[in-house]
Amino acid sequence: MILGYVVSGLVTGAVFAVMGSGLTLSYAATGVFNFAHGAIGFVSALLFYQCNVAAGLPSWLSALLAAGVFAPALGYLLHRAMFGGLARAGETAQIVGTIGLTIALPALGLLVVDVSGLPPADATSLPRGIGPHPAVPLDVLGVRLDTDQLITFGASAVTAAGLWAFMRHTPYGLRMRACVDRRRLATLRGIDADATSAVAWMLGSGLAGLAGVLAVPVLGLDATAYTVLLFASATAAVFGRLRSVPWTFAAGLALGVVQNLVAGYTDFLEEITGLRTAVPVILLFAGLVLLNRSRERVAGSAAEDAPPPDHLAGVPVWRRRLPWALSLAALLVFTATGPEYYVGVAAHGLVLALIFCSFVVVTGIGGMVNLAQAAFAAMAALTCGWAFASGLPFVVAIALGVLAACAVGMLVALPALRLGGRVLTLATLALALLADQVLFQVDAFSNGTIGWPLPALGFGFADTSDPRVRVVLLLALIGLVAMLIRNLERSASGRAILAVRSAPAAAVTSGLSAPRAKIMLFVLASGIAGLGGALFAISKGSITATDLPAAAGFVWLAVVVLQGVRRVGGAVLGGLVAAVFPELLAAWDVSAHVGAILFGAGGMILARHPDGVLAQLAEQRHRRRRRAGSRATAAATVPADAARPGTPSGARDDGPEAVAEDRGPAGGAVRVRDRVGGAGTPVAASAASAASPSPVASVEADAGEGVFRLEGIVAGYGDVTVLRGIDLAVRPGEVVALLGANGAGKSTTCAVAAGDVPVTAGRVLLDGADVTAWPAHRRARAGVVLAPEGRGVFPGLTVEENLRTWLPDPGPAYERMPQLAARRTVLAGALSGGEQQLLTLAPALVRPPRVLIADEPSLGLAPLVVRQVFEVFAELRRRGVALLLVEEKATEALAVADRVAFVRLGRVVWSGPRSEVDADRLTAAYLGVS
Amino acid sequence: MPAVALVVALLAGCAAQQKAPGAGGGTPGVTDTTVRVGGVLTKTSASGYSTKDAEIGARARFERANAAGGVHGRRIEFLGAEDDGQDAAKGDAAAKKLVQKDEVFALVPVHAPNFGGAAFLEQQGVLWFGWATGPQWCGTRTGFGYNGCLAPKKGAGSQTWWGRQMAELLGGATGKSVYVQTSDSSGSKYGGTTISQSFTAAGFELAGVNSGLPAAAPPPDWLPYVNKIMTSDGGGPPDVVVSVIAGTKFNVGLYAALKRAGYRGVLTDATSYDTAILADPAGAEALEGVIAAPMFEPFESTAPEIAQLKADVAKTAPGTRLTQHLAIGYWAADIFLDMLTKTGRDLTRERFLATGNGSYSYENAGFGRIRYPRDHSEPNGCGALVKLEKGAFTVAKSMKCFENVPLR
Repeated sequence: MILGYVVSGLVTGAVFAVMGSGLTLSYAATGVFNFAHGAIGFVSALLFYQCNVAAGLPSWLSALLAAGVFAPALGYLLHRAMFGGLARAGETAQIVGTIGLTIALPALGLLVVDVSGLPPADATSLPRGIGPHPAVPLDVLGVRLDTDQLITFGASAVTAAGLWAFMRHTPYGLRMRACVDRRRLATLRGIDADATSAVAWMLGSGLAGLAGVLAVPVLGLDATAYTVLLFASATAAVFGRLRSVPWTFAAGLALGVVQNLVAGYTDFLEEITGLRTAVPVILLFAGLVLLNRSRERVAGSAAEDAPPPDHLAGVPVWRRRLPWALSLAALLVFTATGPEYYVGVAAHGLVLALIFCSFVVVTGIGGMVNLAQAAFAAMAALTCGWAFASGLPFVVAIALGVLAACAVGMLVALPALRLGGRVLTLATLALALLADQVLFQVDAFSNGTIGWPLPALGFGFADTSDPRVRVVLLLALIGLVAMLIRNLERSASGRAILAVRSAPAAAVTSGLSAPRAKIMLFVLASGIAGLGGALFAISKGSITATDLPAAAGFVWLAVVVLQGVRRVGGAVLGGLVAAVFPELLAAWDVSAHVGAILFGAGGMILARHPDGVLAQLAEQRHRRRRRAGSRATAAATVPADAARPGTPSGARDDGPEAVAEDRGPAGGAVRVRDRVGGAGTPVAASAASAASPSPVASVEADAGEGVFRLEGIVAGYGDVTVLRGIDLAVRPGEVVALLGANGAGKSTTCAVAAGDVPVTAGRVLLDGADVTAWPAHRRARAGVVLAPEGRGVFPGLTVEENLRTWLPDPGPAYERMPQLAARRTVLAGALSGGEQQLLTLAPALVRPPRVLIADEPSLGLAPLVVRQVFEVFAELRRRGVALLLVEEKATEALAVADRVAFVRLGRVVWSGPRSEVDADRLTAAYLGVS
Repeated sequence: MPAVALVVALLAGCAAQQKAPGAGGGTPGVTDTTVRVGGVLTKTSASGYSTKDAEIGARARFERANAAGGVHGRRIEFLGAEDDGQDAAKGDAAAKKLVQKDEVFALVPVHAPNFGGAAFLEQQGVLWFGWATGPQWCGTRTGFGYNGCLAPKKGAGSQTWWGRQMAELLGGATGKSVYVQTSDSSGSKYGGTTISQSFTAAGFELAGVNSGLPAAAPPPDWLPYVNKIMTSDGGGPPDVVVSVIAGTKFNVGLYAALKRAGYRGVLTDATSYDTAILADPAGAEALEGVIAAPMFEPFESTAPEIAQLKADVAKTAPGTRLTQHLAIGYWAADIFLDMLTKTGRDLTRERFLATGNGSYSYENAGFGRIRYPRDHSEPNGCGALVKLEKGAFTVAKSMKCFENVPLR
């Protein structure tokens, strides 16, 4: 018996394994956790069914089309339209974007089926599998299986082998793993990260499609069932630590076995409805808490959610509030005069708005994404109903409901908060499902499917059975919550959280720790959602366990984030939109699928504008103003600017601040503002103007073939300009040392030279050809190579694989550096710092680049190793490589340099032959005095 | 933001556009020549479950009534049905829309497993007719299930027709064992209780009740469930397996797995009476021999009421496949019309409600008989059996009513 459960459990697990592998693969390679993975499986299965039934194609061909052609193509399309943008957006946008897709994609598929009159994909459609139909039973190891099950298992085994071979033994696999390991470094090694992401998405979608097609004879064309399948696969992916495809695969298989054993041997759990169904969810929660503790982010996408600039900051307070006051007045007039039904719709919208305010607290301020908000609302409403039915006074019942929501919020927040980001989101998802499947199934709590009736809330002169009263009451409550949120934002803990959110590393170094404040926020948000849930129940007159399903929480999140989650205004607008939109669709007689598609499609918009519609409006207004303003300024300052071509007038607005970009090990950007004191400013300005003619002149004189040149480079990060007109030239066989104080712009210069940071003005020339527009990987392929600050190795790849990212055959590298040959199968992360630096430079010795840019190559190395590193540079110079050497410690650099350039405040203040550098110049360069 | 104002303006625009009906003081939805009704159905849902055919059934019945001159000189103005998407909150919104905006007199047909508008309709005193599968119908004044309340409370009457019809069909229940399979949700478990009781009341021996099946999606692997069934009756298989799981995919999966494991006994459920399943060879093979238990007279019956139903549907929507949901919509509309006729020309909601709840009784071969207010709290106790033989449904037992027993 037990053998039978294990064998047939492995077959079940094969589907989880295939789907989970796709999830892990795409997440690890791109940093986007795709909640829509199940939805891709569903639409692939739908296509399989339609190819089979409507087009009459043989099942194997249909499967090939759906999983082998359509799903990868869909993956590519989504990469272009959405995932590519999401990878650079914040976590919130990523989660919401893919959840929007989960809603939109199946709806789109079903709409197409409806509109084009294809065979309906409802509960009566019984899709077949790939094998013979009906499936033929077979005995395997004494277990009765059928052909569909065997095909499923076979396909997953082939997939596993194929994936392994692809990842380990093809250049694509190596590139993908390099991108997973260190995305930025990979682009510097000539790997097109974007193309690699595209491959990852195609592969991931293909796997989702395959799992979808394999599962369809069992699940039917049921989008919900595919979402359930996604949760099981996510459990497998979590046990693979969202990183290891083989572990995910194994975990998927094991999950199938566990499910079978639980179904077979746990009749004692039958009393607790839903508990056994919820086994994958419980495992998901356990896996998150136990396995994913304190992991740094996996891929190198931007993690911080720095708040967008407040574009309305300059607008007077009355002007900021005027539109809201007018809207409020309009709403009140409408409430007083409009027909009852539509006032009811508005009241419903305000109930949602109140619930949505909790997103402002938890997501807008706290930067956490909570998918369980519907569960908190339902929790409060059911508790309130239960308490009232037990004979408690109504007001006490409401208070109890809110407290219950707070308590559950605390319960989730405590273990999950240390985990951060996506893990917290997945944990809240697990909680939402647990609440739906287990807690709300307890009859004593939810009163079965009938739920609890609730009376209207009376105020003596009026009660909430009148929608007008509800509108006024809700507006008052939303006003209170808004004030609460405002005070919170201004409080010390609110500011601490914003700081932690915008720049985690900087906040840690400033001694800010947020867990307590975050728990407080989470609990508060749960309480607000609970209050909203209680009012939902009161205005409906009853509450049942299915009134606020977990899936509603996903749609809510999409709606409110789309409007802008950082302010209460976004929540209010979101609530009204969520209530009015279905009305409009019904009035225009549009399919309900269209609504789902539109709400979901908001996710794609989010990929481009992560801060929502309201912020977008404000930014547009700001841009318009600024354009008008800068035109005026430009007219006034043209004569002054004409002296320095390539310096846009806009850059001058930023004041005398130099900002250096310093990339941390996680690849995230931590901004260190290096404010120059007021006294230094005039000196610097005069130094710059005095010195600037000389480098330009010398560069002009040197201009010739084979030169790598930066001309008048202006670059920075966002609104912050770092480089203000860098001019540099490096010739073959020449070492140029770039020296300067911390924050002068050296690393940014390197990044610009390698194509890692885009320029706002100026040109980058290689052999006289303008390569300014080339992305990093293309420049690397053309021979402009950056050895970045820190170590330029992929710690998760072996020494051999590291070399292969640049060299087709690593043999000669081992001949040059025998110490690496001895450790070829060791992970580069396990090497010593010196060995890592040698590994970084080894490929250059074998296949010398045209230009090598080394950013702080001696940082943190023992003197002996430093000497070895500089010997490498000397050799490269002899072999005709143009070397740009960046060093904070000047001594070693000066020893090999032919020419020297000093950078200060984003400009080259002096450049000339090594021989002309003396102590005075050095002092001047570093201290800014002359 | 101005956007809020825009939303308000849209609302106001909608409101202005819809202001037209409702002119005139009298009973909402009733004029001298018309009675306006509309329904709420689960037309679409994420799980693919759909009751949309009930709209066709109701329309067919109303069109016959209108062709015959209406009821007391009033034509039935049928607005069609709203879709609740199997979402309780949407169902509530749909009920409010029909009552407040469209100003219907009553809701016909309401056929949505998660219908959320019950509290509102009860509070407004608006009558609603349909299939009372959930407890939200039961104990109300205004909810009229076409075959009574199918979710009685403990102590109220619970049906025995399924077990007794089965016993008659199998030539007695003595010594025969029955196994009831439900899924892991409180609704399905409740169904397991009432149906087990129906079979034990008829004399069957209960071999087991299992509620282990996951509720949201069919299990990828049926082996553990099939193993339990095959050993439930003292180590061997039971004589009868009753499936109380909604969804064709569930039943087809369970039956196919049972047959693969060598089960030769009787399979029965309430939802497999659907010719659409027969179009698929695997579905037809899995369901072959299954005894389905519809709560209306089967379409294969020779009763004149069924011939009339077929004629009505053929007239309204030629070529429509006859389904369970269609029959439910049809009979719900039929009861509404009968109640409307018995209320008389002077029509208000209060008078209509008084008729319905004042010892109302109506017999029809199509659904047996219905008695209100009694059937607000218990099912009407009637049902039929059909058997799938060689790819076609045949009437195994015609519609018959039995006494209910108190639910334990």
